[in-house]
Parts: sequence; C-alpha cells; structure tokens
Amino acid sequence: MALEDEAYDISAILSQMREEYWQGLAEEEPAPKELLECLVFTLAGASYAFETRHACEVIRIPKLARVPAVPSLITGIFNLRGEIAAAMDIRPLLGLPQPPIGAAGRILVVKAKSFATGIVAEAASGVQGLCLENFQAELGEAGRPFLKGQFLHQDGAIMLIDMEALLASPEIMAGV
Amino acid sequence: MSRKYLDIFCCEAQERLASLQSGLLVLERHPGRKELLEELLRDAHTLKGSARMVSLDHISAITHSMEEQLKEMEEGSRSIDAAGIDLLLKGSDAVALITSAISKGETPALDLERFLDEYSKAAGVSPPSPPSPPDSSDSSDSSDQSDQPEQPSETVRAEVKTLDALVNLIGEMIINKKRLEVKLSRLREIAARSDQETAALLFEFRRQLEEDVLCQDYLIQELHEKALALRMLPLKSITDGFQRLVRDLCQKLGKEATLVMTGGAIEMDRVLLEGLKPMLIHLLSNAVCHGLESPAERRAAGKEPRGTVWLTARHEGNWVVVEVRDDGRGMDPARIRKTAVRQGLIGEREAEELRDEEALYLTLRQGFSTAETVTDVAGRGVGMDVVKKNVERVEGNLTLTSEPGRYLEVSLQLPLTLSVLEALTVESGGETFVVPINYLQEIVKVHESEITTTGDGETIKLRGATVPFFSLGALMGLAQPVAGDGSRCTAVVLRHCDQRMACAVDAQLGTSVVVVKGLGKQFRSVDFVFGATILGDGNPALILNVPDLFAAGGAESRQISRRGRQAVAPSRARVLVVDDSATTRAMERNILIGNGYQVETAVSGEDALEKTAAAEGFDLILTDLEMPGIDGFQLTRLLRASERYRDTPIVVVSSLAGDADKQQALEAGAQAYIVKGAFDQTAFLDTVRTLLS
Repeated sequence: MALEDEAYDISAILSQMREEYWQGLAEEEPAPKELLECLVFTLAGASYAFETRHACEVIRIPKLARVPAVPSLITGIFNLRGEIAAAMDIRPLLGLPQPPIGAAGRILVVKAKSFATGIVAEAASGVQGLCLENFQAELGEAGRPFLKGQFLHQDGAIMLIDMEALLASPEIMAGV
Repeated sequence: MSRKYLDIFCCEAQERLASLQSGLLVLERHPGRKELLEELLRDAHTLKGSARMVSLDHISAITHSMEEQLKEMEEGSRSIDAAGIDLLLKGSDAVALITSAISKGETPALDLERFLDEYSKAAGVSPPSPPSPPDSSDSSDSSDQSDQPEQPSETVRAEVKTLDALVNLIGEMIINKKRLEVKLSRLREIAARSDQETAALLFEFRRQLEEDVLCQDYLIQELHEKALALRMLPLKSITDGFQRLVRDLCQKLGKEATLVMTGGAIEMDRVLLEGLKPMLIHLLSNAVCHGLESPAERRAAGKEPRGTVWLTARHEGNWVVVEVRDDGRGMDPARIRKTAVRQGLIGEREAEELRDEEALYLTLRQGFSTAETVTDVAGRGVGMDVVKKNVERVEGNLTLTSEPGRYLEVSLQLPLTLSVLEALTVESGGETFVVPINYLQEIVKVHESEITTTGDGETIKLRGATVPFFSLGALMGLAQPVAGDGSRCTAVVLRHCDQRMACAVDAQLGTSVVVVKGLGKQFRSVDFVFGATILGDGNPALILNVPDLFAAGGAESRQISRRGRQAVAPSRARVLVVDDSATTRAMERNILIGNGYQVETAVSGEDALEKTAAAEGFDLILTDLEMPGIDGFQLTRLLRASERYRDTPIVVVSSLAGDADKQQALEAGAQAYIVKGAFDQTAFLDTVRTLLS
C-alpha cells in the first residue's frame, strides 16, 4: 500500500524538488568575497602562486635530460606524455636563491601560446581560492620582475607570479 | 567567393600551370609535335573555365588569350617559336603569380589591368568580354562533361595534417613497443629469482608474450612503412620548373645547356622535398652560371658547345642520393686556395697543407665566392654554405667531386624521411645521447697509452691516420665527471664531409631505430641538438647534430680535451659578467664555466662595483652597456680609475652596434667590443682567451 501511496505522490515530490532547486540557486547568489583561483607552490622556501588558467597539470619530477648550449634556466627536457617539454628553474629570474629540490619537488606544467613548459618547484600545495581583498599589487617601476603582487595572510604572504609576462618573456627561450 | 572554393581553385591551378609549363618547354624543343598542343589547350581551357567559376576574371582573361594563341598555333596561323613560347610562358607566370597571391590572401604584386592590356596586345588577341553570359566554350565544356560517364574515384584527398598525426601516432606505438621489450627483460629477471615451479611457468609465459610482442612489432613496422608512404611524394613533384629555370638562365647568360633529369619517380618525405627544392635551384643555377662555359669557350676547349647538366636521384640503402653534375669547367683547387686566402678564410700555410680534394670543401665555408662578377643569380657570397647548412639540418651529407676542365659533381645524401632514423645510443656523463648512424664510422676501444697530447689537444691514431680526440660531454660544454679508471675507454669515430673525429663516451648501447621528436617551440635552433627521442624506459634522450660537434671541435681549436678539467686547469681565471638581462648572464656564464673559468655575475653597474670591491678580485670583466643606473660606459670608466682594476681587461658585450658606441666604449677603457646580435661563441671565447693570456 505504501508503495502505491508514494507512486501517487510523485508530482508532490517533483514540486518539492523544484522548490529545493530554486532555493539552492537563491542561496548561492550572495557571493561574499571575490576569489582568485590559484595554484600555490613553494619557491626558495616561500609561497608563490599563479592563476589556474595557466596551469595544465602538476607532476612529480621525472628524469630530466640536460640540453647543451642553452640558458641555465632550462634544467632539462622531459617526456610529457609523448611530447618533449622543457623544465625551467625560474628562481633566478625572480631573483631567488636555488635550494636543492627534494622528494617533494614537482613540475608545474603551464601552457604558453605555442608550447607547454614545466616550472620546477620545491613543492606544490594545490589549488586555492585566494581572496582578492587581501591582494596588494606590486608598485609600477619599482616592482620586482614577473610579480603581480602578493596576498597577505596571517600565516605569511603568497606572491602572485605574472605568468603571462613570464611565458612571453624572451628570457625563457632557448636557441637562436 | 567562399574561401573553400578559392583554395580548391588554387590547388588545381598549380597542377595545371605545372603541366602547362613543362608542356610548353617540350613543345619549344619539338615544335613539330603538334599533338602536344592538344594537352596544352585542354589545360588552358580548364583553367579558364575554373577561373570563371570562382569569378577570377583576370585569370580567365589571360588564359583565354593563351587558349587563342594555342588554337592559332594548332591551325598553323601562328608559328611555334621561342617568341611564341615566351609569350605563353609569360601568361602562365602571371596566372601563377595571381594564384599564389590569392592562396596567401594577398593582392598580387602586378598591375593587372595594365598587364592584361599589354598581354592581349602582344598576343594580338582581343580580350573577351568578361562579365558576359556563359559563352559557347563554356557550354561545350559542360556538354563534354556530361558525355563522359562518371568514373568511380580510386583516390581520396587527405589533409597533410591528418597524415602527419597518423605517422606521429605510429611513432608512439614504436616507443610503446620498446617499453614492452624492457618489461620482457624484467620478466626474465623476475623468473630467475622465483622458485622452480613458478619460474618454469613464468619462462613459458614470457616466451609466449615475446612472440606476441614480435608479432606486434612486425605489424607496427608494416603500418609505419605504409603510413610513411602516404607522406611520400616523387622528386618529380618539385622539379617541374627546373627545365624552365635552366632555359631562362641560359638565355640570359648566352649559354647553351641541356638539363637531363633521371630518377624523378624516387619518393621522399614531403617535408624533406620542400627543403630540397631551394637547394636544387641553387645548385642548378650554380652549374649554369659558374660551371658551364660559354659556347665559344667550350668549342675552344674541344667540347660540345652545348653543355649538359645532370640532375639524378637514386636510392642507396635507406638514403636518397641526389646529384647535380655539369660538364663545365669544374673546380680548380689552386684557384680555390688562392681565393680563400685572399678572402681571409684560411691562412696561406693552412691552404698549402690542404689536399686537392679537401680544398674543394673551402667553397662550402661561409663568405666564399669565386664568381668574379656578381651576377643576378649566383655569386652573392651566400651560396654553397647555405646548401651545406640545409643538408646538415636534415642530417644529410654533402660531397664534392671535380676534375678541372671536365666536371663538377655535388652529391647530396639525404634521408628518406625525418620521422624515424637509425641511431647509436651512447652514454656520456650520466646522460644518454643518440647519434645518427650515417655519421658513424666505427666504435673503437682506446687505451690511455694510445692518446697523444699535442699542442692543440689530444689525438689518437686510427689505422695510421691521426684523428682528434674529445670527450663527448665536454665538447658540448656539459660539465661531467671524469669516467672510471680511465685506462680504457670507448670512443665513437664520427665522420662528416672529409673530416673524422673520435669522441670518448662512457658506454655505447647499440643501434636501433628511434622516433624523431622536436624539442617544441620553446627551443629555436639549439647547438648540438637535432631533436629528441623517447627511450624504452620512457625517458627522453637528445639526438645529436654531428656537424655541430665538428664545428665545436674545430672552432675551439681543440682546447677541450677528453678531460675538460685537465686541459683548462691552468686558466682558472675569475670572470665577472655584468648584464641586466638574465639570459645574457646565463649564456655567458655557461659558456665560461663550460670552459673552465670561474664566473660571478652582477645584475647592474652598482652590483658590479660592489662585487669588484670584494677581497677576491677578477681577472676579466664582461659588461653590457645599457643598464639602468650606472651603465657600462660609466662602469668601465670607474674601474679604469681604480688602482686595482686599472689594467684588468674589460670586454663590452652589447646590442648597440653603432660605431659611435664602440668608439665611446673603447675610449672609456674597454679592450674589446662584442655585438650581441652577432654573438658567436667561438669569437667570444677567443677574445676572452686572448685577453687573459
């Protein structure tokens, strides 16, 4: 009997679901804070980030084959699922020291206009929504190269890398 | 008009024009063969019809005029002579020009109205009224078509991109197969370590799996061959214009020549053919301009007044050999030596030491030109060196043979395809490299005692001949540990043109077919590197560009010995590199460190002043000119003014190429000035070395 009752109640259930659906939508509307979705990782012991739209994937550091006669920035090439990609240590570009890369080291694969390339990081801590309210932009001329600014948090700052400028920079190109 | 139809038209026009051109040239030589006119008429007519379909009125007007001319030739009211053929060729050239502009989406570089006007006048044919309703020829055209039963098509059109993707995918399969092979040998190890019963099962299982892998290997190979064949085109497809080229050149220079082409059916990878065409054009132009003598000279030398140029292609193993030979004056080694010395390419003593066969190769050096008068077509100083570079770019080889007064033959050895190559895998300094097999002469074991150290490096004796000896890693500037006990080592002997060199490696891992991959767009042309491949273990390895190794071996004047460390030990000079560009800093730093110098870098003039003030001074300073704050000029002046750096060599490395900047830098106290745009590693190192010695 109970089965039959429920069967007859289908339209009521549907209308209830519709109600909940609309309520759900209404609840999402008041977005409290503006967030920037970023990939956060470690360079020279500090936290750095760039917007996820540049990121393709994060991988463990595979075997890198060294390439002769290229800028030291390019530490080697690796097999990115059948294609060859470069791995770059961008720390000198940002004026950072280069502590050794350990077991937590990762390659952040990013997509430039015409190629994919890997950025070597000491560790990657994943994707985070960073609150734009806490963002402090780098100041014009005095700004450090390839940095957009920093997110200030209680537990330290996260530097935001200008990935667009970095990927378009002639300094990451090899060969003539 | 939709782009799609225009593209189709351009494709078709190219084919028709090629056929028109070659037909016209045959007709010129055999004016009696009127049956040729039929084919030409059909080409011109079809082209006209197609041009109308896509409303290209100018093309249809030109082809209309050509058609009329051809009709008159057929009727006998117009004579078939050089002038007549010239006019027709001019028409087809114009159509080619317009078509090529359209296919690139540009406006043709030709005043179309004027050309049409002049062309119809020259042809004596009244231009058709372009926008008129379909005329009789069009209707006959359509009736022609309807008369013919529709033939089922035996071919399909495929995008080149699709074919390339197909070949790439099969390349992935080859790599995957290599992985399976690695797994098979692991399985053998596992079986060996298991208890007897399991081992027997595993061995049997492994045997069966091995069979399956072999079978798959066979299928992949066949699939690969089939897929490559899709990308192959006959040599003929690029040689269409060559008869015309030789004819026009001869007319211009008052020479007579017959071009004999054989092996046009030989097929090569489309990508290679595209690169080959300009090389062949260059070689043919050279043959006619510099090789062949004028008819009078030839007669005086007891030769036929009409010269012959041969373009032949044939298979040799996995290679295609393309030869351009002329029966002209050949190359005179004595004259080449003299020219090379005069142009400062080599010293007089060096020239005398060269054997005659070796002297021929001087013509391949950059800047060499024997042409006394600079002609329109060749002899501009860019020449054979460009051909050589292009051949090297596809891992090919170039050989010259000549007998003065008799002939010159340029032989290009080219691979069939660039997607796979046979190569030797070697290990050096913890890295794996792949060397294309065509550069490999042999692999030898070298004992410590067999290595001779001379003034400019190490050599070994190989069947009586002295061969320079290097360490592979050090030669490429990759710092590496000195291998093992060093009493015996493996060396690969490489050959290129007429040179030999031996490179010490840690181990050689045998030859195999490897799949060639590009390094991606982040890399432009990188020294020493032809491409990369992926090994059976999934790791990448660089495919070496052997000509670069020879260049480095020669250019470094053999300063880098097998033990890079030992040879440069006396020059642990400290160098400061000052530049605000990280790339320049990194480049200079790498080159210097690779050659045994100690290097520090400074990011600005201020930084440099601070660093030069430190306790440990510098033996040489390299500085940029344009830097924020204290610039290079000022830095140089400040250092010169100081007690400590009054006499320290300062080299300016700048992108400012003006004479005034050079003057100012030298006045400030710099010893040398290197322009960044023309940055040449050899010159750079030479400068540093000279200033430090």
